[in-house]
Amino acid sequence: MTAPVVEAKAPGRAASKPPAPARRRGFAVHFAHYKWLYLLLLPGVLYFAIFRYGPMYGVSIAFKDYVPFLGVNGSPWVGFTNFTDFFANPDFPRLLGNTLILAFLNLGIAFPLTIVLALLLNEVRLSVLKRTVQTLVYIPHFLSWTIVASLSFLLFALDIGPLFQFVNLLFGTNVDILSDPNWFRPLIVLQEIWKNTGWGTIIFLAALATVDQDQYEAAIIDGAGRFRRVWHITLPGIRSTIIVMLILAIGQMLNTGFEQIYLMTNALNRSVADVFDTYVYFVGITQGAYSYSTAVGLFKSLVGIVLIFGTNWLSKRFNQSGLF
Amino acid sequence: MIRTKHTLAAAVVVSAALALTACGGEAPASDLSSVKIMAPFLEAQPPTADGAVQKKLEEVTGKDINITWTPNASYEDKMNITLASSDIPHVLVVQGKTPGFVKNAEAGAFWDLTDKLKDYPNLKTTFPEVQQNASINGKVYGVYRGRNPIRAAVMFRQDWLDKLGLKAPETVEDLYKVAKAFTEQDPDGNGQNDTYGITIPKWGALGTNSPYDMIETWYGAGNRWTERDGKLVPSFETDEFLEADRFIKKMVDEKLINPDFATYDSTKWNEPFFNGKGGMIIDVDSRVSVLINLFKQANPNDFQNKVGFVGSLKGPDGELHAHPTDGYSGFLAIPKASVKTEADLKNVLSFLDKLNSKDAAILLNNGIEGVNFTVEDGLAATIKPETPEGKTVNTDIKSFAQLGTNVTGNNFYPVKQASEYEQKVFDDRTAIMAEDLKSAVYNPAAAFVSPTYVAKGAQLDNIVADARIKYLAGQLDEQGLKDAIKLWNTSGGDKVKEEINKLWQENKK
Repeated sequence: MTAPVVEAKAPGRAASKPPAPARRRGFAVHFAHYKWLYLLLLPGVLYFAIFRYGPMYGVSIAFKDYVPFLGVNGSPWVGFTNFTDFFANPDFPRLLGNTLILAFLNLGIAFPLTIVLALLLNEVRLSVLKRTVQTLVYIPHFLSWTIVASLSFLLFALDIGPLFQFVNLLFGTNVDILSDPNWFRPLIVLQEIWKNTGWGTIIFLAALATVDQDQYEAAIIDGAGRFRRVWHITLPGIRSTIIVMLILAIGQMLNTGFEQIYLMTNALNRSVADVFDTYVYFVGITQGAYSYSTAVGLFKSLVGIVLIFGTNWLSKRFNQSGLF
Repeated sequence: MIRTKHTLAAAVVVSAALALTACGGEAPASDLSSVKIMAPFLEAQPPTADGAVQKKLEEVTGKDINITWTPNASYEDKMNITLASSDIPHVLVVQGKTPGFVKNAEAGAFWDLTDKLKDYPNLKTTFPEVQQNASINGKVYGVYRGRNPIRAAVMFRQDWLDKLGLKAPETVEDLYKVAKAFTEQDPDGNGQNDTYGITIPKWGALGTNSPYDMIETWYGAGNRWTERDGKLVPSFETDEFLEADRFIKKMVDEKLINPDFATYDSTKWNEPFFNGKGGMIIDVDSRVSVLINLFKQANPNDFQNKVGFVGSLKGPDGELHAHPTDGYSGFLAIPKASVKTEADLKNVLSFLDKLNSKDAAILLNNGIEGVNFTVEDGLAATIKPETPEGKTVNTDIKSFAQLGTNVTGNNFYPVKQASEYEQKVFDDRTAIMAEDLKSAVYNPAAAFVSPTYVAKGAQLDNIVADARIKYLAGQLDEQGLKDAIKLWNTSGGDKVKEEINKLWQENKK
């Protein structure tokens, strides 16, 4: 942004000239100067304009009574009816509760575990072992939720699944884990941990590689043990990465994972399993209530935006770097 | 110079955007020498436009046909998108009275055919009650695609039954006895207590011809709706519904039903039957031949005495309340946006009339005589070994059958079965279903669409459907099930009942 400023202050320019053309000319020069960079930018801008911002006009059906035959533009406006209907619906508190509980469980258990795993991997001295373990823990990320769910169904199958027998032996119970409402949330969090913890370590491992090695040497000379070094050097060294990842994770928090939950839901655990995502699918796609479910989805997105800005603000407030 | 470049770039972007939006803007052909159809396909590949079946169909109907085959899984979405576009087919396969379809129809998207179909000999239905079922509050918005109304059957391991010296079940009480014997008397003779009576998969929704729905109808709870004291009430508000569920719960509690019935994968439904774990399946009768084929593949020399079956069972009152489906699977509707005038409509209807002629019905369901089948004793025998042409036809007709309406009954040849035994089974099935049809308990509210139900019917029904499964699994007691039914009423079910009864009264006049 320095180029136009320099241009505006250039000597020989008449002071009486109106500022607007000067700015335009300034932009033209600036543009000419950076034209190749702008060209590089173009595909990205087009992508967002066409595939991200363009379709957003469809969000307007949240405020309409959408009938496919009449189209998005032809359907009548209904104002906030869809939203008030949703807030008045007896399902609303249950959905909000289920979504938030699952979101906080994932954030509170799965997110720190990623950091712990990254730290553990970082402490492995034998590089062959480190690389092998790293690769192995990435693998579950590439399995689809359908496969994860099928595996769970096999492992926890009533009476015959090996993990079913193990867990029930451990707790001295005899419950069907797949359909017991109390087991639903632990199961979801376990699946999430199994599938994504390894993959999540990538960014933290990259951040750990940038921590200054001299500091460790200095700490060792000062007599700091391993835990001291992790606490006083490693963790502060990757603090900004942790915060950025946390803000991103919180923005994604309400996306509880439609596929995973949909696949694990059945009539017996639905009371704890219904979340916004599955509700939108159930009401919107299977019942054709397009407007209503768009309103629900929009509400979820708004909460997501509030969360991400809120965390960012908090993080800045406590003297940390924010995301933006 | 620089400015020009800048504007040029902008112009390129704008025109690219315009080109993108203009894609869907092509005007539909107004001359009806060619008919555009949108239909779902369930096979791996849709038929090609130059295939023998389509060529023959064009010959039979005298029109050029242009079919947009759309994958079945996303059909409803694609249909709604198509209706909102400007490129709308003349004939649209609609798969059922979904809320989306009802909204479109009530907004005037389709021709009302109520008084028009009777003028066409092949479209004047011989099953007016099915046409009524397929209508929206008496208004017919399409030519329904007929299906056998009676399909409920109980399938059991015939060899187990013979070994234990039992008779095929006739009543629900017999069902219990056979299930108990299959569970406790070691029907497979391996000396271990490792069998159970009935396999039920994860299948909770109300009114979807699930095993629960069938047993409830057999008990006399009606079929979705039933008339009590001059009013229509949902089946689940009857005493018979509770009785039937108590009966099923008793079987669950005594472990006569697989304990993981709430989560068991329905694609593995045949496995316990075939592997000798679960002795019975309650489902539509077409599963009989699927099961026989499993045994046949495993041992082509000894498969005849494995699968036995009966139709609907008598209730505790000694009466047979057979469980029918609504007798149709969606319909062919004609959008007003593409077929604009009455003259065009007549044109399309006469095309549909030809589409249901005997020649077309044979083509769509059996194929081309001499290419993939021959007629033997009035049955269609598949030509074996399959020629490459015959193979294409055999594959194509699986998709083309989607266009068959059969509103005047099945005018094509029944398929000749592979062996004498299978032919006998097929004939038995036909006979049992014909017998059950006499006692069919139809859904008296099938034709009626209540606005409240369209808005939130599935959510409402889910309350009861989940409670039913929870009750059977022991998570709820009977009071809990009754409370759920009360909740159905207070959450909007009262209004649904009111609306359905009003429509029912209006239609009785």
